Amino acid sequence: MNRFLTQAAIAASLPTLLLACSPQTTPDADTTSESAPEEEVAAATDGTGELTIRANGEDFVRQGFVTKDGWEVSFDHVYVTLTGITAYQSDPPFDAEAGGTPEATETVAIAETVTVDLAEGDDNAEPIMVKSVEAPAGRYNALSWQMMPAAEGPAAGQTIWMQGTATKAGETIDFVVKLDPELEYVCGDFVGDERKGILNADEAADLEATFHFDHLFGDGEAPADDDINTGALGFDPLAAIADGGTLDVDMAALEAQLTPEEYQTLMGILPSLGHVGEGHCEETQLVDS
Amino acid sequence: MKGFGSALRSGLQHLGIVAIAMGSLPGVAIAHGAHIQARTATAMEIQATYDSGEPLAEATVQVFAPDDPQTPVYTGLTDADGKFVFVPTAPGNWEVSVRQAGHGDIAVVPVESEGAIASTFTNDAGLSLLQRGIVAGAVTWGCVGTALFFGRRGKQ
Repeated sequence: MNRFLTQAAIAASLPTLLLACSPQTTPDADTTSESAPEEEVAAATDGTGELTIRANGEDFVRQGFVTKDGWEVSFDHVYVTLTGITAYQSDPPFDAEAGGTPEATETVAIAETVTVDLAEGDDNAEPIMVKSVEAPAGRYNALSWQMMPAAEGPAAGQTIWMQGTATKAGETIDFVVKLDPELEYVCGDFVGDERKGILNADEAADLEATFHFDHLFGDGEAPADDDINTGALGFDPLAAIADGGTLDVDMAALEAQLTPEEYQTLMGILPSLGHVGEGHCEETQLVDS
Repeated sequence: MKGFGSALRSGLQHLGIVAIAMGSLPGVAIAHGAHIQARTATAMEIQATYDSGEPLAEATVQVFAPDDPQTPVYTGLTDADGKFVFVPTAPGNWEVSVRQAGHGDIAVVPVESEGAIASTFTNDAGLSLLQRGIVAGAVTWGCVGTALFFGRRGKQ
């Protein structure tokens, strides 16, 4: 009888198995339950909470990585300078592909220009805090910021300052790469392991500007024909213009010493560095210094 | 970084509802017997693709109900065609997050009563660097609808 039941169950299920439905679909909750969620979603009129903006260079910056062309790169400092940081409660949700400006019911702007070191801390450091402000409760589902040369500090005059070491086949290059374009990113909702920007009254939430440096150098752990590598500059072009194991270049030097194709590749990649987690942004290069 | 800079390709199909005929098992009390129940419901299918048309196969999916954007109601992986099916159980904006290999997108799908996608839905969400289409469409599940589940019957 058990055998009969097994066959019956299989027979009943077979049409489903033959359809292209998602076999790994895993209901994580009783979708028929009518009970209210444990945590209410904040409305814009529910008071205020603490909204923290963070900047994240990901493990590529914190822990180092192997580039698409086999260089083992580690960073001492990756300074980025952010300004015009604005968080939005956008309704409807902002579509970065469509572009434009979020239709905001609430807007929180950070007045300061802030330089942060994405490589600060140890291998497992948290994303770097840019600024924390009191903000109206609600759902912040869009974030924009600009990048511009720092006015002062260790990265003065540069938008992105990368300092570190690259090693390959016994060769070591100590590098400082200084880039000074002005960039703008307008992004939608954070895409990642967890949701961000949901701010309830008297509580805290964060938003994150994420920087994907694998777009610049590629990823040695990905296949050579993967898009992350075919579109990346890699480190070989930089190693080729190093002098005695040292590379200290700014944008003008890169334009003069890289091939035109390499330089254009670099300039084409820079606007793509900014994300919100794994979500993409509308990117604009304001100034090509 | 697939699909640099080109426009997102997306589409919207009709929703479908299928009635399910269910046969009953022999009415015999059997220990650990499989008890099959089914009901009719409307399922929604999304498909995640690059603008090249290449599907995002085995991409991580999280589906969030309108009343709780923090806790996914469904999680899983897209199939080989980049498709994922779920059942919107209430009207409102359902959010579907699809992520793979450092790239991701969230589609917001407005659902009306009876599980229909709102006519205002244009599905133009997309990406600028990695173009991706998330296509909401129709699914009809044969034989067992949205709520096939097996319940163990205790010994009698």
